[in-house]
Formats: sequence, structure tokens, C-alpha cells
Amino acid sequence: MHPGRQLAVLGLLFVILYSLVFFGPGASGSFTDRLHPKLGLDLVGGTQATYVASLMSNGQPPPRSSMEEARKIIDQRVNALGVAEAEVVIEGNTNIVVSVAGEAEDQLKNVGQAAQMRFRKVLKATGDNAAVAVAPPSAAPSASASAAPKPSGSVAPKANTSPGPKVTASPSGGQGGGELAPSPSPSPSASASAPAPKPSASAAPAPVPVNEKKKQQRAAIEKKVGPAAWTAAEKLTAPVDLQTDPAAGLPFKAFSTLTGEEVNALTPEMQFNVPTISCEQLDKRPNGAIDAVDEQVVACQSGAKMFLDVAKVVGTDIDSATPQLDQQQGQWVVSLDFTSEGQEKWTALTREAFQPAADDPCLAAAQALSTGATHCLVAVVLDKEVISAPEIQGVLTGQSQITGQFDAASAKELADQITYGALPVTFEAAATKTVSATLGKKQLEAGLLAAAIGMGLVAIYAFFYYRLLGSVIFLSLLLSGLLTFGALVVLGRTTGFTLTLAGIAGFIVSLGVAADSFVIYFERLKDEIHEGRSARAAVPRAWVRARRTIISANTITIMAAVVLYIVSIGAVKGFAFALGLSTILDLVVVFLFRHPIMTMFANTKAFMSPRVSGLGRAMKQQQQRVSTDVKEA
Amino acid sequence: MASKGLAERLYLGEANLNIVGRRKMWFGIFAGLLIVALGSFVLRGFDLGIEFAGGTQFAIPASTGTQAEAQSAMARAVETAGVAEEANVGPVQQVGKGADAVYTIRTAALSQEKSTEIKNSVAADLKVSPDDISDDRVSAAWGTQVTQQALLGLGIFLVLVLGYLVVRFEWRMAVAAVMSLLIDLVLTAGVYSLVGFEVTPSTVIGFLTILGFSLYDVVVVFDKVQENTRGITGGTAQTYAEATNLAVNQTLMRSINTGLVALLPVGGLLFIGAGLLGAGSLKDLGLVLFVGMGLGVISSILFAAPMLVALKNQEPRIKSHNARVLARRSAARSGDVARGERPRSGKSDAEEAPALAGSTPRPGARPAAKRGGTRGGAGNRPSGGQKRR
Repeated sequence: MHPGRQLAVLGLLFVILYSLVFFGPGASGSFTDRLHPKLGLDLVGGTQATYVASLMSNGQPPPRSSMEEARKIIDQRVNALGVAEAEVVIEGNTNIVVSVAGEAEDQLKNVGQAAQMRFRKVLKATGDNAAVAVAPPSAAPSASASAAPKPSGSVAPKANTSPGPKVTASPSGGQGGGELAPSPSPSPSASASAPAPKPSASAAPAPVPVNEKKKQQRAAIEKKVGPAAWTAAEKLTAPVDLQTDPAAGLPFKAFSTLTGEEVNALTPEMQFNVPTISCEQLDKRPNGAIDAVDEQVVACQSGAKMFLDVAKVVGTDIDSATPQLDQQQGQWVVSLDFTSEGQEKWTALTREAFQPAADDPCLAAAQALSTGATHCLVAVVLDKEVISAPEIQGVLTGQSQITGQFDAASAKELADQITYGALPVTFEAAATKTVSATLGKKQLEAGLLAAAIGMGLVAIYAFFYYRLLGSVIFLSLLLSGLLTFGALVVLGRTTGFTLTLAGIAGFIVSLGVAADSFVIYFERLKDEIHEGRSARAAVPRAWVRARRTIISANTITIMAAVVLYIVSIGAVKGFAFALGLSTILDLVVVFLFRHPIMTMFANTKAFMSPRVSGLGRAMKQQQQRVSTDVKEA
Repeated sequence: MASKGLAERLYLGEANLNIVGRRKMWFGIFAGLLIVALGSFVLRGFDLGIEFAGGTQFAIPASTGTQAEAQSAMARAVETAGVAEEANVGPVQQVGKGADAVYTIRTAALSQEKSTEIKNSVAADLKVSPDDISDDRVSAAWGTQVTQQALLGLGIFLVLVLGYLVVRFEWRMAVAAVMSLLIDLVLTAGVYSLVGFEVTPSTVIGFLTILGFSLYDVVVVFDKVQENTRGITGGTAQTYAEATNLAVNQTLMRSINTGLVALLPVGGLLFIGAGLLGAGSLKDLGLVLFVGMGLGVISSILFAAPMLVALKNQEPRIKSHNARVLARRSAARSGDVARGERPRSGKSDAEEAPALAGSTPRPGARPAAKRGGTRGGAGNRPSGGQKRR
């Protein structure tokens, strides 16, 4: 390739990189603001979130091993990309403290989530009519559902679980959330006629033993709401029909004042049937409220209360979860691979939902939620929320997908949560706080000063040893530095690559190592001239031979980086990323800058003058040798 | 120009040091060092930092003063308690803002009584009640799993790199190179264990950086060895050991240079960073790199090449070749040829007209017999299409 052309390619790279730096996604602020790489916790401080573990039933803090397990999972969730360099430690007996660089409240919002995944068949559904029940409309306004939208894939349960790539499930007909608008649109009549649902054939849940604590709580609630309301609520066998009598909810008005914890003490039937218990209250139940696998529970999804069957498939049945962009639908999905045992359970559950038994109320619930449904729904429950409730379109025997209102980030978050498993301990998130840098500006400046001095020494040595060729080294290092810096800024914005002091030091070292490949090249050049070649002939020959060595050596480094990046976790992953990045940039500079420059150089007269090129002695020696040979002859 | 200095001879690749010939000595030295290092692992172990071992965290209300005051109060307190050395006080961090802001400081794990003592003296120092200061155990931030996975990665890398070097060179070179890398890693860890430098995440990361660098040096030397020994069995000019020794000498300057160039910035980090800031990630990283890279250069010259020769001399082809060369020499009575020394090519003054340089196997002109293997890359062609200006 022509030297000019190689330099042009390099120039193009530069233009692209720096236009990304200044105008790429995420670039904002003033000219200098756009030139900031994302700095780590140790340099700029950041955000610290504390998660407090709930005490166990015996009032003791969770055992150390569970806490360590939880620490590990949270660490993996926070460091899912592996380049953010977050710190996760256990503090005292019950706290897990997560520190992340910069402002990262959003990032930390869900890392303390237990992420208990449950798959439950939807047995009954009703609208969240609490608002109407509490304040019946005199006219017919459209009370809006009060379900707080959730970050994870909430919203419309227009989910269809497509079994692998083969079958495309037909999207279920009408639209859930919207359809379920509380009165005045017809509230689901499905459950009105249905008595308390029979647990589906396969697994009859044992009657749940009510423990002492719950009994006390219920007694307290009875006092709070008044015995009349309590008795009425206990007698309910179906959601109160506000359709025919908008005021029917009034006797239960007191229930709307219950806290999440109190709501949790009620039976699932009450939670479901009492019209004044809102989704908001249900969502405020304590963490882990509905984790029990063998109990029927109530959970919400965007304004629909659902009465759910026992969990027949759980998170641990899932082998891996990956976020994917569904090309056909143009939306993000999370595809699930089950373990072999989990696959059997999942197939059984989907069969049950696809071909429901005649007395199974789930079909009516499905029709209530999405008009025209012909099969039952299976709710995917994460902790306390239903993240989607797809209609099962077939007996699924392979990979399955969760659809919902995901974007790339939330799909990835959910996939990570499922993949890294559920926390063995439930946590309550305490407030996030800012933390100051541990090292701060002074250290950063000192580090950069050390770097500058180190690089200066390299430059001096290069000039001393290679004379003018030293300038090629110097310029290349400068280029490597600029390329690396640009890449860091862009990566900081796009992948959250965070630069800690150790990272900076690592890059400095890699620049030194980059200078190595020069030494190899120039020494080769010396050899060639030593053997009596002219510079013009020596440069390409030396290049070909040095290239082989340089590529071999860099291949090894890149191999190390790739292996470590794939295998390792935490800080090592970030390091491997940096190592690979700097090595590849080094190769770019070698091939697109140094080689063409040297080729151009070789064509100048100055290059051959011993004083200039530092190859002088090799040449002088060569001339001497020629002359002694002549004498001897 | 009668007698050149060592530097000059180094520059020209003519130092003519007998490195390979003394391989028994090098092996002995390295074996001794390895035993010391491994013994130190067993007997002394490592001094693990807070990130690995967990520790104690003190929280002081920020209303007591500035961050610097908290830091110095803490330093005084550990001094008074007599645990300044092992407490290893970290930097102060401010957590939160406003009224409920606190300063947190982490130290190595302390006994309950010591931490109470420290708490009391800090409280007295800053004039607050000891009840306002909390001390909590903190776990390791760097779980054992991170280390396990890193080691797993290291193992996988070694297998892969062995495969790569077998393809790129030959199995004996691959084995010698990987052995040399392992020696670097063990000795570097040994230095840490012996001296009792603290092991922090930065140390581990620096340690992994050595991987590529150490092999880099070996690849450079072996490249030259491969070149010098290609078709060696075709002639009877030199034994394999001599050819290797020549290659080592020719690349000596290169090795020293690459080592220096890479160590300069590291040295800058280490001495300036640590000098200005005392302890910190810079020092940790600089230190491990300095030790590891230095060892990398040394072992590539003194261990990898001799090891290669030791392995190659077991090869029947090379064995018989060496015997032929020596037989021919004793027949020709060309003086005492120490193993590993190049035969003097008839010139009385080896120093002067550089016999070596003269007989440097010219890459272009190799013995015509048995050109083993193909040359990599573009062979002899100058890279195509140079446009003359």
C-alpha cells in the first residue's frame, strides 16, 4: 500500500474518532466538557447505595455465607459490563454497600432487587378499581388506574411467547392494560361467576398455615378497618362488581388506608377481591412477599390485578437469559434457555395453559385481559410485579422469550438479573448518598505528571540512541496517546468504561510497551545496514522481518486480553479490556503511521547521514569492513 | 578502533558473551531462586490488602472538621494504639452531604479492643463522643471468585499461548518460552511474598500485565534464534548452542533496549508516583510491573535461550549435528573451542576486525543446504509497490 494512502486511512480514523468525541452520542456541554473520559470512583467519587438485609424469621441477621453470596451476585449485576469498576462490600452484619463512579442512581436502583423469578398461571383478573371504589363517580368519569408504572417491562401485557425461532406466536388480540380500564368500561366478568378458583389439577396447594404473626396482624387490621368491613371482605368470593353498583366499594373504603405490610397479611383472596386495595398498595408489600412457590398470590401489572396460581417454574430452572432484538417485532425481548429439568417443568406448564382443563378459570381470566384469547396466560413474576403475562400459543419445548415493554437497557438488566440468579437474602434499599473521591485530583495530577516524566525519559532515550529516528518514536507515541484518549472518551460514554488510577497507569505502561516495537524495528534496520544494504533497500526488508516479530508479540498480548476478558470478572475484566484496546491501537499506529513515515524517510538524503539517523555507527562500521576486506584482498 | 568498549560491542551485537555455554550455572541460579520463592509462599504467604482480606471501617461525623483533620486524627490514633504498621490506614472518604455527612476510613482488620481504643482516641482528638463514631467490619471487595477466575484465565491463556508458539516456532521453543514466563510470574510473586509488599487489586492487575510483556522478550530472542539456526544441520560451521548464543548476543541490545524503554515509564510511575504520594495504586502497579518486567528481560536472556538449547540438544538430529561439528573441529585443530564460543575464524585478534560481524549469518544468504521451513510473512520481497519519489 502506498505510504500516503496509509496515512490517509489513519487520518480518517482520527477524524471519525474525534467527531465521535465531540458530536457522538452522549456528547454534551462545552468544548472541554466533551473531552472528559469517565473517571473512576477513586478519582472523582460517585454514588454509594446501601442495601439492608431483612432479618431472618428468628430475628437474626442472615448467615455470613448468604451475605457473601448476595454480595457476589450484586457485584456481578453492577459490574455486568465489567468495565465500570464498582465496589461492593459487606458492612457490618446486614448491609451491602455498593459504590459506583459518578452519578449512578438509576444504575443502582434495581441491583438490590432479589430478582426472584416465578412463572405462574393467571387464574383470575380484575381491574385495579380502587380509585373508583373509594370515590364512586357521580357521573361516569374515567378513573385512571393507579398502578405505578414500573421500570421493568411493565405496561401492556401484549406478550406472546414465541417458542424459539420456529413458531411465531400470533399476537394476542386486544390490548390488556388499556382494555382493563376500570369502570365504566366493562370490568372483567370472568371472575364474577367463578367461585374461589380451584387450584389447577396438578398441584393442589396445601392450605397455608397461618403463623402467629399474621394472626396478630390480621387482628390489628380488623380493628383498623372495622369489624363490618372485615367480615364483608372475608365473605367476598369474587371481586366486587362496581359495574352495576358504583358504590359497592364504599363499605371497604378503610382498606385503602392499609400499608403494604398490612395488605400482605391478608389472604390472597382478600387482596384480590376487595376493590379498594389498589395495585399501588400491593406493590408496596415487603420484598419477598410473594416468593413462596407453593402459594397462590396476587400481583399487579399495569392496572390489572391478577390472581396467580402456585409457581410451577422458578428462576433457578432457567439456565441463561439473553437480551435480544426481535427482528420481526422490532422490539427487545429476553430469551430464556431452561435447564433440562426446568425445560420439562416449563413444557408441562405451557401445556396446562395451552390446553386448559374445562374447570380451569384461567381461560376466562385470559379473555378478560385480552379479548379473543383462546389460551391461558402465564405471568412472569419478578419479585412483586408481573413483568409480562403472555398468552401461551403452544406447548413450548425449546427456548422461550419474555416480551414486554423493554428497551435495550431494561432487557439487558432483566437478563442479567435472571442470569446471575436471585439473591438469597431480601434487601431494603436505603437512601443513596454521594461519596467523595478516595484519591482525588492530587493523585490524578501526580499520576499524569509521573506519566509525562516517564514518557519524557523514553523520548530522551530514543533521541539519544536513535537520533532523528527518535522523532518518529516520539510522534508515534503522541499519536497512540491521542488515539487512546479519544477511544476512552467514546467508550466511557457508550459502554461506561471507567478509568481508575490503575487504569491510567496501565495505559501509560502500554505506551512504553508500544515503544518497544520500534526498538525491534530499528535494530532490524541496523542489522540490514550492517550487512551493507542501502537505506532504501534496508527499510522495506527490515519492516517485513520486524513486522513478523511485532505481530507475534502483539498476538500474544491480545490473546491474553481476550481470554481474561471472557473468563474473568470484576476489575480484571476491565483491565483486560484496556489491555486489548491499547494493543490494538498500538498495531494501528505501527501499520498506518510508522511504516509509511519510515518509507518516506528512507527516500530522503538526510536519513542516511550518520549524524541524523543514529544508524551511523552501523554504517561507519560497514564502510570500515568493506575497506579492510579490500586491504586484505 | 583497536579495542571497542563493551557498550560499543553491545551496540553492534558483538558483545560475544558466552551465555548459553554457562547454562548449568543459570539453571542453578534460577532453581535456587525458585526454591526460595516457593518456600516463601509456604512459610510467609502474602500480605493481603483490605480489598482481599476485609477490614474495619470507621465512620466519623463530618461536622467534626475537614477531611484532612479526620485523616490525621486517625493516623495519630493508630500510632497511639501501636498498630500504625499493620492497620494500614486508607484514605478518608466523605459519604453523603450536609448535616448527616460522615467521613469513612478503612483500615486492616483490627481486634475489637484495638478498634475501640482507636475510636476513643479519635473521639478525644476531634472532641466528639465515642458513640458518634461507628466501627464496622467490612468484607473483602475483591471476592475470592475474582482471583479464581483470573487464575483460570491465566491457565487457559498458557495453554493457548503454548499452542500458538508451537505453530509459530516449534514445540521446544514453546515449552522454553512458557517455562520462562512461569518463572517470571513465580519469582515476581516471590519478591512480593519475601519483601512483604502489600497485595492489592492493582498488584494483581499489574501481575497480569507481565504475561504479554515477558513473552514479548522471548519472542524477540527466539525469532533471531530461529533465523540463525535455520538449515544449521546443512553445514558444520557451528553447533546449535553456538548459533543460539550468537542470536542472544545479536539481540542483547534489543532486549536491553526494549526493557529500558518499557521500564522508564514504569519507573516514572513508581518513583515519582510513590515519592509524591506515598502509598497508592500507582506504587502498587509500578512496583509489580517494575519487578516483573525486569525479571522478564533477564529471564528471556538467561533462562529461555539456555533452556531452549538444553531441550534442542536432546533432539537426535541436532545431537548428531553437534557431534559432527565438534569432530570436524578437533580434526582441524582449530584451537580450544569452549562450548558456546564461536570458533575464531583464523584471525589472530578477535577483538579487532569483528570476526563475528563478518560471519554473522546473513539472513539473505543462508547455507544453501536444507532450508528448513518457509519464511513467514512476505519472505524476501520488499513490501510491494514502493513508489519512488
